[in-house]
Amino acid sequence: MLRFRYQPHPRKMAVYPNAGQGERLQRLREIVTGLFRYERLELNYNHADEARQYAERLILLALRNGDKHKETMELADYWLLEKDLVHKLFKVLVPRFQKFKGCFTDLHKLALEYPGTGAPTGLLELRGNPWPPVIPRQRDFKYTLSNMLLAAARQDFYQSRQEKISQTKSAASLKSTQEDETKSSSVDPVLPSSKSDSVSQTSQTESAPNR
Amino acid sequence: MALRITISKLCDRLSMSKNAVHKSKRFFSTQALTNSDVRRKRVELFEQEQQRQTALVTRIEKIEVKYTGLPEECTLIMNKHLSTPYNCAMHMQELFMDRSALALVNGEPWDMHRPLEDDCELQFVHFEEEDPRTVNNAFWRSCSFVLGHVLETAFQDQYYVELCSFPPPNVSSGSFVYDADLKLGNWKPTEVELNCLSRIGLRLNFLDLKFQRLEIPLSVATQMFSDNRFKLAQLPHIASKSKSGTSVVVYRAGDHIDITSGPLIASTAQIGRYSVTAIHEIESQSFGKLSRVQGLALPTQIMLHSWTYDTILRSRSKKLNPAQLPDLKQAENQKSQIPAQ
Repeated sequence: MLRFRYQPHPRKMAVYPNAGQGERLQRLREIVTGLFRYERLELNYNHADEARQYAERLILLALRNGDKHKETMELADYWLLEKDLVHKLFKVLVPRFQKFKGCFTDLHKLALEYPGTGAPTGLLELRGNPWPPVIPRQRDFKYTLSNMLLAAARQDFYQSRQEKISQTKSAASLKSTQEDETKSSSVDPVLPSSKSDSVSQTSQTESAPNR
Repeated sequence: MALRITISKLCDRLSMSKNAVHKSKRFFSTQALTNSDVRRKRVELFEQEQQRQTALVTRIEKIEVKYTGLPEECTLIMNKHLSTPYNCAMHMQELFMDRSALALVNGEPWDMHRPLEDDCELQFVHFEEEDPRTVNNAFWRSCSFVLGHVLETAFQDQYYVELCSFPPPNVSSGSFVYDADLKLGNWKPTEVELNCLSRIGLRLNFLDLKFQRLEIPLSVATQMFSDNRFKLAQLPHIASKSKSGTSVVVYRAGDHIDITSGPLIASTAQIGRYSVTAIHEIESQSFGKLSRVQGLALPTQIMLHSWTYDTILRSRSKKLNPAQLPDLKQAENQKSQIPAQ
């Protein structure tokens, strides 16, 4: 059971008033088709989020199975309303995403429009598209003098900590081996070591209250 | 009381007689070398050489300098062998004069106060550039240079400090270095004494001394550094590495002159924080026992919280810098290896 109150409710995706599941699916297919056509869409955030997974899945299956797989072709036929996009999927997008790691699409939140409906808007795009980047290139401050000094200090710190850990580990392992040796030597009556003495002392003190 | 007076008189007489003995023995000046005298001599030689070189430029020729960069590109008509990138900056913006640490002449790093030699493309670089590594190295080198100034001026005249050399700049090591023979025996500086050293470097920020570059012939250089056995030993090797084979590049800031290939930053006003953090004993094969003086500095342009500077960077810079020890034989070996390759 969850520790906080949470009322689960289905995500609202009203295409128009009184629209049902069929219209909802139709809307998702339109979005996926539009995404494959234009590679970048600006739309309601919830709609974009919902459609994104289907576009991702379609590209993944196309990548895995190729264009000679019946089920994948059927799926592409279902999601892409404009049939020339099936060719684009296999001839353009599959080669493009061949060496991609991670997801094939990006979803960005956009600012609320005012005055407007108040609905959150988002930007859905295929990666590697020809449009200018949504997020401007960030300046890299890695080589600023202070940052170079701090990076070196950080590396130094982690290295010394790693060495400390390995030292304590090796010391612990040494101790355990020494203990094993003392145990074996305590059996030998000729060479009683200090450790075995202390062990015998503790056993005496422990047994004292029983007496 | 009377006894005391007599004793003191006796002492005076004794000391007088000692002086007399000294004077009688002295054919040439055996007065101990002092850093201030040596520095004065170097500055005189530097100025003479500079005057000689400027006198060589008899006819003023014009060159075209194309500035590329923000806020707008422009072309300046400057004087050949006289105008420096700093003079170009004076025609453009005060910001360029203040913050530019280095100029790029045809893409090559060039000192701000080094005269331009031909038609060229000019850029200015500062410490908050996208990739300021060349500037960082120039800054680190300049800080080592300033550390030499600190060591030569900090102690009283009876201590003759002989500077040896500093290794190539390595910012990631966390400290800049100057190896020198301090001749102070087993002196271990306290934190207060180190702070006093730091303050000498820090004060240069207000003096705004510019780093001047001058290429001098080997003969002048040997004369200039005749009182420093380390520099004197290194000079032939340094000269042989130069293009002409017989010239040495020296820099001057205020009354401090030192050998370095450069480039250095424009002015000491660009050194914001400066601290001498540690002095370690090192043993060089060819130069014997030396002190490795280490420090830490930040440009005026770069802001850093005092906590970060003091607790992280300063404490790290106290560790012995692992840079190469000053050694003549190694340098010569490297030299001999180059033609073999």
